[in-house]
This record gives sequence, C-alpha cells and structure tokens, in this order.
Amino acid sequence: MNLSLVDPFVLAQEYPDTLTEKLSSGHATCLSFNHKGDYLASGRVDGTVVIFDIETNGVARKLQGHTRQIQSLSWSRDGRYLLTSSQDWKCILWDLKDGSRIRTVRFEAPVYIAELHPFNHLLFVASLFEDQPVLVDVSDTKPIKRILPSAPLRPQASKDEEIDPAVIAKQAAQDAKHSTCVTIFTAFGNHIIAGTSKGWINIIETQTCTTIHSMRLCNGVVILLRLASNGRDLLVNSSDRVIRTVLMPDLSQLGIDLEPSAIKLQVEHKFQDVVNRLSWNHVTFSSTGEFVTATTFMNPDIYVWERSHGSLVKILEGPREELGVVEWHPSRPMVVACGLETGCIYTWSIVSPQKWSALAPDFGEVEENVEYMEAEDEFDVHPAEQVHQRRLDQEDEEPDAVTRESVKGDGDADGVEPFSLPILLDVEDSDSGEDVVAIGPGTMRRRTPGTGREGANGDSEKPTANGASRGVTRNRRR
Amino acid sequence: MDHSNPQPRRRDPRAQSPAESSSDELAAGSAHDEAERRRASWTMQNGFTPQRPQQTSRHYSESESPDELAVDADEYWRSSRTRNRHRSPSPITRPSMQDDHSQGGSDDLAEHDMADSDADQAGDADNWSDRSATPLASPVPPKPEHLNYKEKFVMRGHLRGVSAVKFSPDCSMIASAGADAAVRVWDTASGRLIHIFEGHLAGISTLAWAPDGEWIASGSDDKTIRLWNVNTLKAHTKVFDGHHNYVYQIAFAPKGNILVSGSYDEAVFMWDVRRAQVMRSLPAHSDPVAGIDVVHDGTLIASCALDGLIRIWDTHSGQCLRTLVMEDNPPATCVKFSPNGRFILAWTLDGCIRMWSYVESRVLKTFQGHVNTKYSLQGCFGIYGPGDVSYDPPLCFAVSGSEDGSILFWDLVSKQILQRLEGHSGAVLCVHTGTLNGKRMVASCGADKTVRLWEEVDEDDTESNDDVFSGGVTPTPESHSQISSPTHDADGDNAMTDVSAMLSTAATPAEDVMMA
Repeated sequence: MNLSLVDPFVLAQEYPDTLTEKLSSGHATCLSFNHKGDYLASGRVDGTVVIFDIETNGVARKLQGHTRQIQSLSWSRDGRYLLTSSQDWKCILWDLKDGSRIRTVRFEAPVYIAELHPFNHLLFVASLFEDQPVLVDVSDTKPIKRILPSAPLRPQASKDEEIDPAVIAKQAAQDAKHSTCVTIFTAFGNHIIAGTSKGWINIIETQTCTTIHSMRLCNGVVILLRLASNGRDLLVNSSDRVIRTVLMPDLSQLGIDLEPSAIKLQVEHKFQDVVNRLSWNHVTFSSTGEFVTATTFMNPDIYVWERSHGSLVKILEGPREELGVVEWHPSRPMVVACGLETGCIYTWSIVSPQKWSALAPDFGEVEENVEYMEAEDEFDVHPAEQVHQRRLDQEDEEPDAVTRESVKGDGDADGVEPFSLPILLDVEDSDSGEDVVAIGPGTMRRRTPGTGREGANGDSEKPTANGASRGVTRNRRR
Repeated sequence: MDHSNPQPRRRDPRAQSPAESSSDELAAGSAHDEAERRRASWTMQNGFTPQRPQQTSRHYSESESPDELAVDADEYWRSSRTRNRHRSPSPITRPSMQDDHSQGGSDDLAEHDMADSDADQAGDADNWSDRSATPLASPVPPKPEHLNYKEKFVMRGHLRGVSAVKFSPDCSMIASAGADAAVRVWDTASGRLIHIFEGHLAGISTLAWAPDGEWIASGSDDKTIRLWNVNTLKAHTKVFDGHHNYVYQIAFAPKGNILVSGSYDEAVFMWDVRRAQVMRSLPAHSDPVAGIDVVHDGTLIASCALDGLIRIWDTHSGQCLRTLVMEDNPPATCVKFSPNGRFILAWTLDGCIRMWSYVESRVLKTFQGHVNTKYSLQGCFGIYGPGDVSYDPPLCFAVSGSEDGSILFWDLVSKQILQRLEGHSGAVLCVHTGTLNGKRMVASCGADKTVRLWEEVDEDDTESNDDVFSGGVTPTPESHSQISSPTHDADGDNAMTDVSAMLSTAATPAEDVMMA
C-alpha cells in the first residue's frame, strides 16, 4: 500500500548501498529467505536453526534438532516447511506451524546441500560428501532414496562400430572420479541440475533419475549452482575463481519443442578478478536476476555486478571480517551476509532520507527557485460556514473503500495458500548475550539488559522533547 | 447531551422537496441576523485558531499552567460546536443550497470556482435523482436507504465507563475495557461474560486483538500495555513498559509481530511483540497521540494527535510519508484505514468525521450529525446491503458513536445517515463492526458502563419480530437498565469520564494516575 507514497527515486534504486543492520544469534553459517521475504532462516554452527523476522529483526522461532553445523536451508514455496541439512549426516523437514519435525532423514555421509522440490515439500535432492547424490521422497514416514548418476552422459556409439574395451574401461575409470557436489531443482522441478567435481553440469530428469544432458563447463570443482527467479539463468561458482552465468533452455518444452539432444547451455558472462585472482566464497543473483553478488575469499567485501554488460557496479563494505554466505532478498534491494569470524548476519539496504515536505503538508520541495504566481482568489476572505458548506457540496465522488487491488507478487497470485508463521511470545531469549538493537537506519547499539525500560521511571517530571507541558488538552476518553 | 436540534437530522432528506430544504436553514432569520452571526463566528475563529501546527506547539510551551490552556481549548471547541449548530445541522448535500451560495454570497468567488460549482450542481442534481429512488437502467436493485440494526444484548458488568470494545478476529468473542482497569471478554452468541482480566493499575483506554485471536492487548493509563491470553486465560509475563505517559491507542500489524502504540507522551512506539521491546520510536507529534491504525498489508501506519495532524508512516523505514491537516487544526482523536487501505477516516473534535484520500492529501467526504467535542470516539467501516448483489462501488458505511448516546451510520458515498441507534444513556465511545455466522453485528460501549451488541435484522420482519431476542438475555429497555445497573458513587465516575470535571480537580497529569 505504501508504493504510491514512497519516493520514486528510492524505488528506482536496484541494489543496496549501506550497511544497515547487524543481526546476531549465535554463530550463523548459512542463510535463506523465505519466498515472501519476511523471514530469514539462519543455520548455526551448533546445529540450531534460528528464524529471524525481517520486519522486527527479532527471533521468530528457534529449531533444535541438529547436533553439527547446518549446511543448507530450503523453504517450501508457501513458507510453512523448512528443510535443513547438516554435517551430522541428517536432513530434517520442519513444520513451522508448530516447530515440529515432520521427517528426519539419515544418510551415510555429511550433507553438502539439500534442496526442496519447488512445489512438493515432501521431495528433495541432497548432495552428499564423497557419496552419490540422492533424490529423497519423504511422503511416507520411511524415506525412499533414489541415487542420482554423477557420471556425464557419453555420446552413444553407433551400433555397427566396434567398441574398444580399453576405451570403455578408461571412460568408466574417468566416470568413477566424478562426484556430484551440488544438486538443485529447475524452476518447475521436472529436472535436477547437478554440478560435479570435474566441472561438469548434468541435467537429470526427476521422474526417471537419468541424465539427459551433460556439458563440461570448467576445469575446477563446481561449488555452487543457483537459479534466478525466472528459472532460465544459472549461476555457477567454481573453484577456478570464475563465476559464470549460463543461459538455460526452457526445459519445460522438452518433448514438445525441444529434444534432449538439442539442449545447449550457453555461458553468458564470466565474472572474475583478473588482477588479484580473488576466489569467491558464495554467490547469488539479485531478486530480479539483473545483478550478481559474491563474497570474496580472505576479503570483507561483497562484489555486485550487473548482467547486461557484465560490469562491476558496487563493492559493499562495512564489516571487518570475511563474509561467507550471501543472500539477496526475494523482492527488495537488500543483501544479507554472514561473517565467518563472528557469525553475525549483516544487512545492506537502501537508506532513504526523510523528506521534510512530508512532515509539513503545506510545503513542497523544489529543485530551484520558482516564481510564485498568486491565484486571483488566494487571499479572499469567505465566511467560515460558507467555505465549509462549499467543501461539503463538492464531495460528490463515489469512492470505493472496500475493493482491494490485487498486488503483483502476492502469495495468493500463484495459487499458494498463504501461510502465516504463528507469533510466539515465548521464544527464549538469545543465548549469545550480545544482541544488537537497531535504533535507526544505519545506527545500532548493543542491547543492554532492560532496554525499553529506560526512562520509565525517574524522569516523570522531565519535560518532553519540544518543551510542551504534557497533557495540555486532556480530552481523554472515559 | 445535544438534543437541541435532532429533528432535521433524523428526517429522511430525500423526503424533502428541494424547495423545502432551501427554505430550511439558510433562509431562517433575517439576512442581518445571519450576517451578524457569520461575522461573529469568523472573528471568533480567527481569534482562537492558531494557523500552523508549529505555532500551536509554541503557544502551548509558553503557557505555564496546563489548566488555563485546557480551558482555552475547551472553550474554543465548545464555541465551534455552537457555530456548527448554527451552520447547518444537516450533513446532507443539497443542490438547492449550493444554488443559494453561488447566487448570494459568492461575489468574491473566482471564475473557475463558479463554473465548477455550477457544473457540480448540474452533475449532482442528476446523480441525486439516480441515487435516491430510481436506479440506473440496470438489473442492480436500488441501494438500501437505511440500515436495520436492532439491539441484541446489553452486557453489564463494567464498574465504570467503557472506553473500548472490539470483536475478536473470528467475531466469536467481544473484548471490552474501560475506566475500571479490567478487560472483560464476552461471548458474542450468548452475550455472557467469559472472563475478566485484571492487572492494570489504572483505567484502560484501548484494546486490540492479535490477528490470531489468541491474545488481547490493552493500553492503560498506568503507562503500560499488557497482553492477555484468551485460551489460557492468563496474562503475558512480559509487560510492554516504555511509554512515559498514558497509552492512548494501540493497533496490531496484520501479522501480529508488531504492535503500534500512541501515547500521551506524544510518541508513537513500534513494539516487537515477541520481545516486548520498543523496536522503533516514531518522532510523531507535538501533542498526545490519540489515534493509531495499521493498513491491511502492514506497510503503512496512520497516527493522529490532538495537534490536529494525521501522519502516514512507512512501517519498514519508519519515515513519515504524508501529513494531513485541516486548516483549523481541530484535534484529531481517531484514525481508521478503509478496508482496502486507500482512504482513512479521521475523527476530529469539531464534530466531523472526514474521509481522506491520503495519496492526494484531500478530504473526500465529511460526515456530520453526531456530537463530538471532548471524547475520543472510535468508529469503524462496515459493509451493508444484500450479499448477493454486487454494487459498484460496494455499499459501505462509516459508523461512529456520539456524545448524545446514539450511534450513527453514514453511507460512504452519499453521506446520508442510514440509521441512528438509540440506547446508550451516555456518550458512545467506541463502536466496532463484525460478522458472525453471516449476521452483521455492531458492538458499542459507552460512558453508561454498558457494552451493547446490535444485530442487523431483515427489513421485513422488523415489526413482528420485535421481541425475537427476548428469549435469550433480555434486551432491557432503558428505564429498566437505569434501575438494574449497579449504582456506584456518581461523582467518582464522573471525575473519570468527564474531562472538564477532571481538569478542574486534577492538577498535573501524573497525579491522577494511581501507581502502586
């Protein structure tokens, strides 16, 4: 509802520029916004998952179940379910309605990354440390795990050609060296994109668990794969210190307009620091996919590139520590990242100055002097009741005070039943003991015990800020 | 208290012929009288009204005694009310009156103004006939011309005046609170008392239900806001403590994670409900903040204060986006967002309720006919008309109590009074609309210590079913209620309810708050 009143210049700015908040509850290692963007889940070193309310910067819920560092967080589309994976070899699916664990899935290895199917919260893929990636169906209490292939798809040898057993053996040996480091779903969940330790990208059909396309992207290990919100742009971070954006074909057209053999992944941009040869800790797209953001290894900066020309537009600075996971808010120009050393969560956003003309209704802000033209009747004096009556007579519109305009991007627009997280009033106080309270844009102070109580007693005789004696016109009810 | 001229208000304006209405007020008395009166009121207004809010605050700060000023203001608003009464008691637009203006008193009008009003008049006259009896040539039936709410229950139990009443989000319960410092929860269907929450040390001015319906928040003169759990019937262990003076009005954000409060300490606080701590303080006003509301999607907060300013805030950034003010700066005592959030309704102590389009900073409608000079009356939007017909725009009313004990419903488009409910014997301080099992209802409370529930009844069976509710809890007639209501020391009650009386007895604001 506030769009019509907010300064359009503020709205036009697409990426954040100022460090505004610092959230802290334990040592956070991974972050994830829900799709609506009002909650931020953070996974801690000690295995606790803390869900922050972005509007209040307070803790909305704490989930305890893991015993080791959290590796990844994945929200269901409606924001009710959260899948967490951890180094304690487990994935847990949480129901945030009551904070209960719906499913706990145990693996034979620590979990790298687990991601929920975009539409089915009872299906997820997980890539495991030195093990085969799995597609897990948890619709039943006993999870069904299906192993996904890691080896790239070899071109089929024609039948009449004699196949050299030595070549086959060599290929098999090479294939065995592939291990999948990261698996994600495509936008509709019909396919899984997997990145291997040899720099290959495999596209696997979810239904059959078979690879339909493979492509060698780089020489290094594929560290992270991310899809933009449009589902067609892929962001790849690999250990060769290059971030690539890849244009994907529309996989939903497979079998209609597109043959699996015609799939082509096309690298659009390569972002790298040629001078310092920086490597990148974590990467993310902006909410619209127009920007690419990355945190740097051994460096406290966040780089922001725009994608149309591939140029660097901003380096976000602020904290004096190396940053790990970086996330972009799903709708606002807001970036969060967590510090590797302290585990604090830093937030960058846009600070818009207070327009003073909003406070004084009779004034307006002008860029330069304007010669004032006095209206003919400006200083005419009319009897008060006449003015009043004329005003009343002019009120002949037919306003509609009921019908709501549907706002684009609303949860109900995509047919998802909106879920609202219950407000818990008894979330135990943060155990870190050094929570920081934002007292204004860009300003913070440490929370001291009993904040919010200061001044409640002792200064009842103190005059208020503007010196007006309080309770002057005391038209109280009752 | 203002029964002086109820007759013209209650009359159905459409029953009048234009000729009749034109001869009604404006032609009353000699021309000389009228001019005299106008001049008097004009000078009075100039004399008393500060032109800018800044001046108001300076004016206040210079004065040593709050009493002197309070009387000043009181006097002004009383006089302005009498002016009001002289002006035109009927709130209804009358084409004929406009006619009168453009001919008689408008020699100093600008050209375009004349043209405008002429065009308006023509348009208005057309609409007039459309709006009343005969609709446009469409299958949509004519708009109902009046509402038919009937008293269902009178809920007694409060020991003093009741200042706030709210339906729970599912409308199954009603919460009420007032000067006796207790929150009472009633069952909507039976009118029976469910529970009494006690704990505040001073009277309660405001109530809000959390959107999940589990918690009730109450803001009190003991400077705190407390939360009460309706399911466990227990108080929340954390007290929202931080205001330096009486809490005047509170509102929950639609998600329930933020509570916004306005106080006599002139601040607007945004509370993190989970932590029970102030999240942000809005540098709001230079007078007590009387009204607070949050728009349905939670992105905007409206606040209004006795300095006459209505401010619209961005919830996310905490910045003021708009300030609305009438030129006379009448103290604004309540704001409410419309159901779709595009407009706000603002109550001011000049006896008007105005509907603003805050985007354009413009008053769209002015509702008059109630008496409002010293209490913060709280009202509501509501929907009426048959549910199976879709009107454009949808039929919507504004409802408010009045200090003369009645409840008024105005049509949002025509500004006509759709119904006037009588029943309360004192000022009706708060009115809230709700729907339970498809029945539209209105809850009201007032200085007469009662909470009343009114239900919309079908037009047809009104006469026959007058006693339809007598089977349940008896809807007591007024005379009966006077006898049966528990009698408490009258002057003590008055001291808490009547502002002018309180001003004369209480010296400083801090002293009449009972602190343990």
